[in-house]
Amino acid sequence: MKKSEILRRADYQYNFDRDLWVNPKVKKAFSIEFVDDKPKTEIVRRIEESTNGNGWIFYFNMDPSDGVKRVLEEVLG
Amino acid sequence: MPKRTIEDHLEIEDLLREEYFDLLPVVRRLALQLETEIRSLTPSILHDLRPYEQLVVKSRVKECESALNRLLGPKEGRTFDPDRPGGYSLLQLPDLAGVRVLVFPNSRLIQVGETLRIRFADWIPKPVKYGSGSAQAPKYIGCCEEVSRAIRGEYQVVPMLLGLFWEVEHAAVYKFRPAANSKHMRTHRTAVEDSLISFEMGMEIFVRDKIGVYPENPSKN
Repeated sequence: MKKSEILRRADYQYNFDRDLWVNPKVKKAFSIEFVDDKPKTEIVRRIEESTNGNGWIFYFNMDPSDGVKRVLEEVLG
Repeated sequence: MPKRTIEDHLEIEDLLREEYFDLLPVVRRLALQLETEIRSLTPSILHDLRPYEQLVVKSRVKECESALNRLLGPKEGRTFDPDRPGGYSLLQLPDLAGVRVLVFPNSRLIQVGETLRIRFADWIPKPVKYGSGSAQAPKYIGCCEEVSRAIRGEYQVVPMLLGLFWEVEHAAVYKFRPAANSKHMRTHRTAVEDSLISFEMGMEIFVRDKIGVYPENPSKN
């Protein structure tokens, strides 16, 4: 199965403005670069990773700055 | 009016849009100035074209959203950083105004490139690589001081077939990140570019071997 299919099946939608795979229910976002660069096993592991649900988790190759996180949290809701 | 401060991401984008429309009249003048100068430098080549050869000069002003995206660059998450020291300005972009000179066949590219280089000698070269080999299209970045010392423009001399392909490819691939990151799409793009190079070379070899020296352009008499 392709990575995009794995993400779609886990209720992630592609956000064309930010180039992110986003699931607002679990508040997780994967950058397209992260998805491209990491193996499927890691994508699956990150999808299954439990969160406390309080704030967004961003899976990026390079950690976004606090400012960017703030903005993305605001934009993604 | 008091200067607004950047407090959040949405304000950064709004302020950049404001800046864009403040700059737009000058950017338009720069595009027109560049196009006019380039046209005025190339009539001798234009009049000497053989019937199968072409030279087309096109200018463009970068669109607002395209300028914002270019300023963001390939950053993960495509988000302006409100904490970035120094902030953002569209004046950081090298190509708010641009001229593309499309030529066919490739032999005319060198001639046009050398002609323009004399006028734009102090402009910085940023050649564009294409295809799987070492092919490069000349591109230069600089200022027209008569118009503005702050806003930079660019001109490119491009094989015509490639330039026309890029008009579609840039929107479909270059500006669409998933496609731009795709190895498959990069392979397809390179294959098309190689094929276009091959067509141009084939045409030049055909004329050289089958026609020889092409007769003087009849319209000149």
